[in-house]
Amino acid sequence: MISTLDKLHAILRRDLLTAIRHRSGFVVTLVGVFTELAAFYFLSRAIGPSFRPGGLEYFPFLLVGTGIYTFFVMSAQAFLSAVQEAQQTGTLEVLMTTSTAPAELLVLSSISAFAGNLVNLLVYLFTGVAVFRASIHANLLSCVAVLIFSLAIALALGIAAATLQVAFQKGSAVLWLLGSGLWFLSGTMFPIQSLPRPLELLARAVPLTYAIDGMRRALLEGQSVLAMARTLAVLAGFGVVLLLLALTGLSLSLRRARLNGTLSFY
Amino acid sequence: MDQVVFESVRKTFRHRPALFNWLGKERGGETIALKDVSFSAASAEVLVLLGPNGSGKTTALKLISTILLPDAGSVRVGGFDARRDAGAVRRQVGVAVAAERSFFPRLSARENLDFFAALDEVPRRQRAQRIDEVLHDTGLEEQADTLVMKFSSGMYQRLGIARALVKRPCVLLLDEPTRSLDAATTAHFWATIRGLAQQETTVLLATHNFAEAAAVADRLLLLHRGELLANRLVGEGESADALRSFYFRTTGEIDEARGAIQRARTAQ
Repeated sequence: MISTLDKLHAILRRDLLTAIRHRSGFVVTLVGVFTELAAFYFLSRAIGPSFRPGGLEYFPFLLVGTGIYTFFVMSAQAFLSAVQEAQQTGTLEVLMTTSTAPAELLVLSSISAFAGNLVNLLVYLFTGVAVFRASIHANLLSCVAVLIFSLAIALALGIAAATLQVAFQKGSAVLWLLGSGLWFLSGTMFPIQSLPRPLELLARAVPLTYAIDGMRRALLEGQSVLAMARTLAVLAGFGVVLLLLALTGLSLSLRRARLNGTLSFY
Repeated sequence: MDQVVFESVRKTFRHRPALFNWLGKERGGETIALKDVSFSAASAEVLVLLGPNGSGKTTALKLISTILLPDAGSVRVGGFDARRDAGAVRRQVGVAVAAERSFFPRLSARENLDFFAALDEVPRRQRAQRIDEVLHDTGLEEQADTLVMKFSSGMYQRLGIARALVKRPCVLLLDEPTRSLDAATTAHFWATIRGLAQQETTVLLATHNFAEAAAVADRLLLLHRGELLANRLVGEGESADALRSFYFRTTGEIDEARGAIQRARTAQ
């Protein structure tokens, strides 16, 4: 346990030092957040106050939808980028020869990637509330519960993207396709009830739909954990199943890469 | 006791051409990297894998480090099977591969070593001292706090060796370790290798440099096109020239370099 925490500390420190030394990156992120939120703010004003999806004002609806969506996709992307970069620079093979098991290493690396994206999400939500006056009625306990279960799902997505990268060197293409599908189906920009019935049913099979819906109810409506029990149970179920599948896939793809000698291929 | 044991190890790489191969000329088929190779390395022994490019040296090291799995046969390190107990094998093995950029560029040399030492489960309170030691051994003390993105290829090479040493492995794997080093650093490094062997570390070093083999080897494996052609002791004081003659005699290759030198001398 101490050894695992020590490794996590080392990975967090590496990523923090690298981020700090990329000074311009942080400023670019802040400008990007501000520009995106300004666009959504004026879009919601142009549409007018009469459009209230699920009884919510449109700007806060967008704020939570795009914030959670971006958190999901960027977490998976950050994780994928870490694997791609490690393949291109040659660190992946060296990392795989350390005393740390590959699966442990990938999970710890993903926690670090998520920590960075969690900071981005908080900055995004804070800017939306403080600068663009999005009205929120948060139930913090519910928010934390939704975030924890969503993290498990995002972790599985990140590991799955890394698995595809190790197995087929095509993680980016698959993630792009998946990201577009998730954006369309998960109710990021509009309620899924607007979709044709077959697509609405498909949207209900997407875990991100529940994460976004859950966060809207927790952050904007202040619903309690008890009131959201069903959504939280669905998120937990998705988290457990997807994590097991992703870890099994990762183990198989690493074994295949070690047999074929393709671990460092990209 | 034998620290590393190869038993009838076979490794083949299969090349599957791209889907639209008529657009280019990607080669299909397979390359047999190792053909039923068997050998062992005793504790505190320096074993040199000598052979030309593509002879299977790096593949052998990758099999020991568990980056690759054998198609047939077994690889054991410290009594653990590399296929079944990969974790236990990795705990005993330190690897210095020839990948110069296998570091995090925006971390300093010390920060890189600290990161890899944590992953190698070096206890936190011993880490700083061990890092200082390996930085000293590899002559990188003055560059310890320089970001590695500013390093030369020789400095990367030294840092790779430092990274392999920081965990104090029972088995040290070195792939062309002095390829980018200057003469003085190379000589210092060879002395370090001999010192490690005296401290009971088993060293497997892949090279095609006869001087390096003569300087450090207790025993020599001669690999050629995936086959083990020779496995013999290296005598005290045996010269690089003697190993060179042995190599060309055993492989049947023509020593073109020697012919060219003789022709140049005759012309003078």
